[in-house]
This record gives sequence, structure tokens and C-alpha cells, in this order.
Amino acid sequence: MAAPTEQKVEYAGKPLPEVQIVTNRLLSAETTEKLLNALDVIPGIRQINMTGESLPKTINSGPGKGYANNHSERRVIVVGGREVELRYLVGAFYIELEVEDEEELEVRLDQIKAACNENIEHGYTMQVGRYSKYRPTLHDFRSA
Amino acid sequence: MAYKRQFYPGESIPAKNRRNYMDPKHKLKVLRNVAMDDVIRIMGHRNPGEDYKSIHPPIEEGKEPDCPIRKLVEPIEGAKHGDRVRYIQFTDSVYFAPISPYQRAWMYLSRYRGVDTGTLSGRQIIEVRERDLERMAKEFIDNETFDPALTGIRGATVHGHACRLDEHGLMFDGWQRYVWDDSKKEVVYVKDQVAIPLDRRISVGKPASMADLKKRTTIFRADGVDMRDDKEVTEYGLRIHKLRTLGGYQPWKVKGE
Repeated sequence: MAAPTEQKVEYAGKPLPEVQIVTNRLLSAETTEKLLNALDVIPGIRQINMTGESLPKTINSGPGKGYANNHSERRVIVVGGREVELRYLVGAFYIELEVEDEEELEVRLDQIKAACNENIEHGYTMQVGRYSKYRPTLHDFRSA
Repeated sequence: MAYKRQFYPGESIPAKNRRNYMDPKHKLKVLRNVAMDDVIRIMGHRNPGEDYKSIHPPIEEGKEPDCPIRKLVEPIEGAKHGDRVRYIQFTDSVYFAPISPYQRAWMYLSRYRGVDTGTLSGRQIIEVRERDLERMAKEFIDNETFDPALTGIRGATVHGHACRLDEHGLMFDGWQRYVWDDSKKEVVYVKDQVAIPLDRRISVGKPASMADLKKRTTIFRADGVDMRDDKEVTEYGLRIHKLRTLGGYQPWKVKGE
């Protein structure tokens, strides 16, 4: 998960709608950056989580173990003026929306669709539901 | 009674391709020409021009024990010279790669002598004496069973075959052994098969179009040719399933099947 640095998880405490966007192709860092910046200006987005395929910092097995991986897509991107360290080739977004009613939800979904259509070249699927937890569980209290 | 060798049933495109790839009499199309030195660099077992390391004296020195099987079997070149056994491993994407690991095993065993091969979920390793391996590896990279975007040469951490492709249509590789050259529209290897950086970029050419790949693939897919649409292939699969089940459960019933 490419979480913004220095951010602690804050749960909404209630099951707000969550938009799941799964892209047909894995996105480059550049496209991810563009899409996030397009989403960043949409009001009512509480948080965005991303997932995809892991890009290790170093070669983690085999004879080349320990060499720097130097993957071109593992880098820092700037979203809304804030630096985000990308450690994944992103293939899915989970956007939590803080909306009052269905009408507002529809407006936000249209805005999200417009941002996606503009930035995701090879298509995506979008669903609205709840895909992650919205309140702390035992896992949040475990020691590191 | 002399049997005519059969390879694979079916009339669909993937079935025909499976037959062609397995049949040693069928000449595979050569689509590119990657220099032998570059193949050696990608494999990373020795430097180009370096002598082959050996693990036993040449067979011609005559120190072999008296053995009827050794007299019967003609050794391959590498065995004659006492070469080490080295490997190359390919990963094939599930998105209509020209061949898939299991058919690679069929192809290797059907076409070559002196090889040891192993199939895993997304990859196929082949182990051979070094000088024979180099010759074979060049054939595998040059011929129609290889696609620059959907076939990966990966000695370790092959993860990617079942992942979505990236924006350029390349199979995912967390170690980025190969990159997309946007100016030439080609795939270029920048690391060897175990991800140790190469001292030069090695181009393996342009990826094939999806339309072309669908004609070349051995993969049955619901969004391509469904295996159930090929009657003979389905019957063959069901027959093996039936015989195996009976064989393990009520073996006396196999008689006459």
C-alpha cells in the first residue's frame, strides 16, 4: 500500500461508501501521479488507498541478492503538493467518500469517472461498496 | 506393428500449435536474431569468450567404465567435453503468450536430447550441458515460441505470469529485467536472468500484435479459443480423467476401456 508518509490511519467509524477502481493494466508511476492529482481536487474524498504489485527496493533472492533493484516505477510522486513514496505498480484504488446522500454520491462518482476516463488509457472497472474496515479492530492495537 | 507418432488431438488453433511445437519434424519459424554473445550475457553463467568450465575429463580420454548403455547412447556435445550443467528459465504470460510452461516441457522433451526440464506454475526451467544449452537458448529466444513482451527470461523470482500487463503491454516483472524502449518500440534487457545489471542493453525486438499472438498461442482461454469448443481435445481430457480415476479406484474396470 502506497500510503502517504507520516500518516496514521484514521477510521471514519461508520461505513461510508467506498469506490473500488481496478485497472485493466498496471499503471506506471507517471499515470498514477496524474490520476491521483486529478482525484485530489474532487471534494468529499476522505481517503484513497492503492494496491498493486510489489516493487522491491533490492533484489531479494538469488545470486543477485542485495543489488539495488532500481525499478523505474518505484519512486516518489507528488500528489497535491505532498510527496508519496510509491512502492507498488498500482492496479487498484479504493476511494472512501464522505457524502451526505445518494445524490451527492452520484455527483462524486461522475467526477471520479471523468478523472479516470481521462487518465486510464486501457480501461478499468468501477464498483461502489465497502471493501475495507471502517473502525479499529484488534489488529490496530498490536505492537510493531 | 509400427505406430505413427501422434502429438496432440484437436483442430483448433491452440491444438494445432501444440502439435507443431512438439513435432521435431516441424521447423519453427525464426522471428529474430539475438547474437549468441548476448544470449550468453542474459543467461549470466559465463562471460562471452570465456572457456567452458568442466566437471569431468572429456569422454574421449576413455576413462569411462565398461557399460553397455554408455556404448549405446551417443553423448551430446557438452557431455563429450565434460561441461557443467547450466540452466535457462522462461516465464510465459497467461495473456496469450506463444507457449506455456507445460507445452514447453513437451516441446523440450520431444525435440532435444540430454535435457532435464521442470514445470512450475508460471515457469519452465531447462537444464543442459552448457554449450548445448547456449545453442538451445538461442533457438528458444529467436523462434516463434518467444515473444519479447509476454515471455520473460527469469532465473529467479518469476512472479508476473498471471499479473495484469503494464501500460506498454509487458508482463509484470518486479525486478524489471527488461524495459520498454519507447523510441524504438522494442523490448530491451538491462539485467541478466537473475537481475544482475548487464553492462550493455540487449534488444530482443518488437512485441507481436494481439491478433498475431492469438494465431500463435497454445493457450486455451474463454476469451480466445475455449477448450470446450474443441471436441477432440475435450474428449481426450475426459478420457484421461476417466482412466486415471478408474486406475486409482477400480483398476479392474480399466480393462477394455
